[in-house]
Amino acid sequence: MDFRWDIIAEYAPFFLKGTLLTIGLSVASILIGTVLGLFIGLGKMMRNKLYALPFKWYINFFRGTPLMVQILLVHFAVVPSFLGTTNAIFAAIVALSLNSAAYVAEIFRAGIQSIDRGQMEAARSLGMTHGQAMRNVILPQAFKRMIPPLGNEFIVLIKDSSLAALIAAPELMYWGRAMQGQYMRPWEPYLTAAVIYLVLTLSLSFLLNRLERRLATE
Amino acid sequence: MKKLKMISLVLSAAFLFILSACGTSKTNGDGEKKTLRVVTDAAYAPLEYQDKGEIVGFDIDFIKAVAKEAGYKIKVEHVGWDPIFVEIKGKTADAAISSITIDSKRQQTYDFSIPYFLSKNEILVPKGSSIKSTKDLEGKKIAVQNGTTGQEVVEKLFGENNDKLKKFENNNLAILELKKGGVDAVVADNTVIETYVKNNPNDNLDFIEDDATFNKEFYGILLPKGSKLKAELDKAVNKVLDNGTYEKLYEKWFKTKPDIKILKDQQK
Repeated sequence: MDFRWDIIAEYAPFFLKGTLLTIGLSVASILIGTVLGLFIGLGKMMRNKLYALPFKWYINFFRGTPLMVQILLVHFAVVPSFLGTTNAIFAAIVALSLNSAAYVAEIFRAGIQSIDRGQMEAARSLGMTHGQAMRNVILPQAFKRMIPPLGNEFIVLIKDSSLAALIAAPELMYWGRAMQGQYMRPWEPYLTAAVIYLVLTLSLSFLLNRLERRLATE
Repeated sequence: MKKLKMISLVLSAAFLFILSACGTSKTNGDGEKKTLRVVTDAAYAPLEYQDKGEIVGFDIDFIKAVAKEAGYKIKVEHVGWDPIFVEIKGKTADAAISSITIDSKRQQTYDFSIPYFLSKNEILVPKGSSIKSTKDLEGKKIAVQNGTTGQEVVEKLFGENNDKLKKFENNNLAILELKKGGVDAVVADNTVIETYVKNNPNDNLDFIEDDATFNKEFYGILLPKGSKLKAELDKAVNKVLDNGTYEKLYEKWFKTKPDIKILKDQQK
């Protein structure tokens, strides 16, 4: 199979630009999604079923509908109704954050509920309030257990950010598609994009591995 | 354990069946002509689109007429725009018809039949827009479908991959972006734009012709490089052009008469 390195070299600056935006989109969405996810996870665990209901349905909706549809909805309906015009990068961050928050919420819930009940009881009998016990005893232990599934979710999010190409956000996959459109050659752009995504996800799992090792207590 | 064995047996049987099903469509033995697998991106009304799951359009009727002349059976499959080129390059499909313009860049990697359709780009703008010709597009935000000649002509005018150009997956999304105010104009094929304006009068959109800037383009049937089908299909295309079938189909889909002479002139 012939493989034209020259057209990859020609598109290198665009791949670089796209990679930077992909990193930007992913980092922003990971941060916003994690914070939002923490609150939604805590919300879903509330004892009062009525209060917990909206959080439950948030997760049901964002986990249960295709991300592609969510991106289109946010881009063509939600964002224009606030800004009066479309903004692909903003829409991509919003859609990715809202989507990943649903998954992160469940990861948080799983982490917190995996901590033995006795821990909370012990903390409470030492005189801590529920909030204090959560903050100082439960969450630090739970967080350690959440790292692997969170890493999973972040990696999925990096790759899912490629869906933003649909709404012409000029990220990595957008330039891959643009190059494909120009030369009508599928492998050069898509394999290049795939390699870059692999480098990004490998770097992330390396960072998460180090974090995990630093937090290890044994 | 027994159950597991049973399941794996069923699964592998199903897998084998799928594999063998793939094989049969390829060859059909001696003498008898095989069924051609024709791929398309059915998102380009009225040339090719899906009507309640069925692939229809001018291109589809045309390729059926051509195949009949050439004595082939065909199976048209909707695979999307990008995959068309993967399929043809990898020779997993025999031909593609999808309003594909014949141009020299594409001819480096693929073969085309003789031209069967004349097309040119047009500009789609909101009614009352200040844009009256391609010159007015300078500095304006423009949406196109990725990989189309509309994109090519805009890039030729205002620079490759410039910041004001947004490339969308298909024309519907590009037009939606225009309606939501994200861009000032859409550049696409005349048939697509005019059909859209005609079918959606409530959107208050208008189309602008600019024959001075937009070159005439000719569509061809896309074939793998060195395809043996080319000679047969070319002959059949000419028959369809000559015997009145082309005109009938053109009038059915576009309600006007085609300019067959200009297509014939291109063959020289």
